[in-house]
This record gives sequence, C-alpha cells and structure tokens, in this order.
Amino acid sequence: MFADELKTLRRLGVRHVLLQILNFVSVLASGLMIWKGLGLITNTESPIVVVLSGSMEPAFYRGDLLFLTNPPNQRYQTGDITVYKIPGADIPIVHRVLETHDLVNKDKDLVAASPLAQKQLLLTKGDNNHIDDIELYQGLEWLERKHIVGKVRGFLPYVGYVTIAMNDFPQLKYALLGGLGLLALVQRE
Amino acid sequence: MAPRTRKAAASPSPAAHNGDTPPAPPPEDDAPPTPSTGVDALLAPVATLEREEVKVNNASPTDMKHACDDALKRFLSRPDLFKQIHTHTDVRLALGWLSVLIAGGTGLYGWRVPFEQSKPGVWAGVLLYVFLTLAQTLYSYFIEGDIVFVGKRKTFDKRIVTERITITSRTTPSSPHAPPGYALGLSYLRSASGGKSLLGKGRASEERPYTDFFDEHGVMDQDRFERWVGAVVGRVMDGKAE
Repeated sequence: MFADELKTLRRLGVRHVLLQILNFVSVLASGLMIWKGLGLITNTESPIVVVLSGSMEPAFYRGDLLFLTNPPNQRYQTGDITVYKIPGADIPIVHRVLETHDLVNKDKDLVAASPLAQKQLLLTKGDNNHIDDIELYQGLEWLERKHIVGKVRGFLPYVGYVTIAMNDFPQLKYALLGGLGLLALVQRE
Repeated sequence: MAPRTRKAAASPSPAAHNGDTPPAPPPEDDAPPTPSTGVDALLAPVATLEREEVKVNNASPTDMKHACDDALKRFLSRPDLFKQIHTHTDVRLALGWLSVLIAGGTGLYGWRVPFEQSKPGVWAGVLLYVFLTLAQTLYSYFIEGDIVFVGKRKTFDKRIVTERITITSRTTPSSPHAPPGYALGLSYLRSASGGKSLLGKGRASEERPYTDFFDEHGVMDQDRFERWVGAVVGRVMDGKAE
C-alpha cells in the first residue's frame, strides 16, 4: 500500500527519516506546550474540560466544553460555577457555589487587607440536583481553595463529544494518532 | 546507488554537452590543463546506469520540486563529484529534537509533580521551548533560505584545491502563458591552501519549466534533468577558472 513511499524513504537516507519523524513528534510537542502554557497563564492545571453529567442543566449539558481560569487574587462568590476535585475522587465536578465563608484568624486583632489572606470555604450544588454536594465531599465539611481547579469563564456546546468518544473508545484515539503519524511521515514540508 | 566505475564515466556519453569532452582519464591520475575537463565527463549522466523510476503527482509543484531536489542531490553526491555538507540539516535536526525533548521533559515533570509546585519548572520548560522554536524558524528563514544542496570537493593538482558549491531552488509560479518552473541558483567558490587564496568564483541561475522533466503520468526523465544540471554546474565551474 505504501510501497512507493517506503522506496522513497529508503533512497533518501537516515537524516531524511529523522526529519520526517521530527515533523510528527514536533506537532505533538507543540500541542503539549500550548496546553501547558495555557495552564500557566490561566493558573489552572486543566484550562479546558468537558462536562460529563447532566447535573448543571439547563446551563451546561453533557458534551459541552468549558474554559476555566483560576485567578489567585479574587474571592470566589456565590453564583460562580467552579470545577473542583476532591482528593481521592477520580474526576473533577462542575457545580455552582452556594455559600462562601471566610475563616477569620481569631488569634490576631487585625484583619488583613488582601482579599485572600483569610482562607475561603465553599459549599457547592449542581443546578439540576435537589441537594447540595456535602455527600460528594467524602468527609469534608467545606471545600477549600486548594481543591478548586478553576472558575468557568466560557463554554462551547457539543464540541466535547469528540473527547468523550475518544475516552469511551480508546481504539479511536490510537487510530487517529496512528493516522496522523503516517501522514506526517510520508508528507514532505 | 551502485558505485560508478571510472570506465563507465569516461565512456562516450550520449550528450557531450560541452563539445570538448573526450573520454577523459580520471582527474587524479594526471594534471590536465583545465581541471574542469575531467569534471565535465563526470557531470554527464550515464545512460547505462539502472535507475529506480521516480513517479510523482504532476499536478503538485511541491512534489515535483522535491523530486527535482532529490535527483539533484543524488546526481551531485556521486563519489567523484561533490560531497554533501549536511550542516543546515544537522542544525535543524539538533534544534528540533532538543525542543521536542524539552517539551517531553516538561510534560513529564508537570504530570508527576502537583500543579502549584511544578509552576516554576513548567514556566522554564515552556519558555525554553518557545525560544528554541523561534531560533529554528529564524535559522531556516534567514540563514538556510532556499538552499537545497551544499557540496565540497577536494582535488589535488599541484596543491589541494577546494571547491564549494551552494545550490538554491525555487518554484516559479505558473501563469496563463507558462507552466510552473524550477529555478536553480548556483554559487561556486574555488580556493586553495585551506581557503586562503581564492582561485575562482562563479554564480549562475537558470530556470526550466517542470514540463521539461515530467511526462503526463508524472514520471521523471532523470537523464534529461541530470544533463541540464550537469550543463549549468559545468558552466559555473568553468566560467571564472584561472
């Protein structure tokens, strides 16, 4: 099937093969770096996530793509939609903040001026759920800032289904990667 | 490629393009008055040599340019002709693979270490990657440019003569009157005693439409191409010889 291309590769030598492999690998590398760079700029480890459940309907449906940021100097307020991860749970959860409390330091007489000098405690609830998330916290009473992945800033409907498909059918992921690799190896510039 | 024997190179070739190419003995054995006569014999393609057929998509100027560039490299890299200098390719490979390794390392680091702790390391990795990619782009745009072949040749003729040739190629776009063409540019330098004394310099550029070398099925007429390249290279090597 690729007899012509294999013949060409054999004729052109080691350097050429290395160049072609570099073409493919550098596409992957630049994708990875763009992802990591985006994570650094938005201050969150996962700047783009996909909604998996229907607990936030009618705002977000399964398959929506969400864009997150995690501003380090702003307080989270009631009404913000956050993505959080409980240590010990596999997947992050997208729910809305129901209550916020500040843990005031009782030892000192002063209150710090910085908005985040006091620790923030949060309680969340999904729009489409009847009860708040206490049972999901696995023993914790409140969420703290360190559990929060980010705050939702924008979304794209339906696009996330591609990721869901690739997760549910890993063969699709490998087929896509394999196809891309083959294409990059035989195409030139 | 099968090594070409001296006999084959010196046999009367079908295209004596310069008109003054007797079956010349190889240049190393005697000191010909103009060293280039030996080279002209070498520059003639050997009709008897078996070649693999080169077939490309003749609707794609990119494919045709690549086929011509590869044929050029094969033709000029023969043992008695130029030895290809791979500096540009090596720089591109080095920068490219280094940036890929750094990207991989940064990704691995960010995966292993929790996010908050990993931030400085990941910043360093991302910035280094951006810098290397920028360096690659600038190098290939400004320094490498259109160059497809850089070759060196050392001959012994009372003293060691070093010849260096740099070849650029472009595709000239098609117009309603002309098909797309292959524009070859050559830059030639001949020097002695380790590059200190300049013996000759030459420049040439010529263009031919792709239709001269590719038929309607996309098969490349390598003989014709090599004859043309041989003629241009021979001309620039003879041009300003001492």
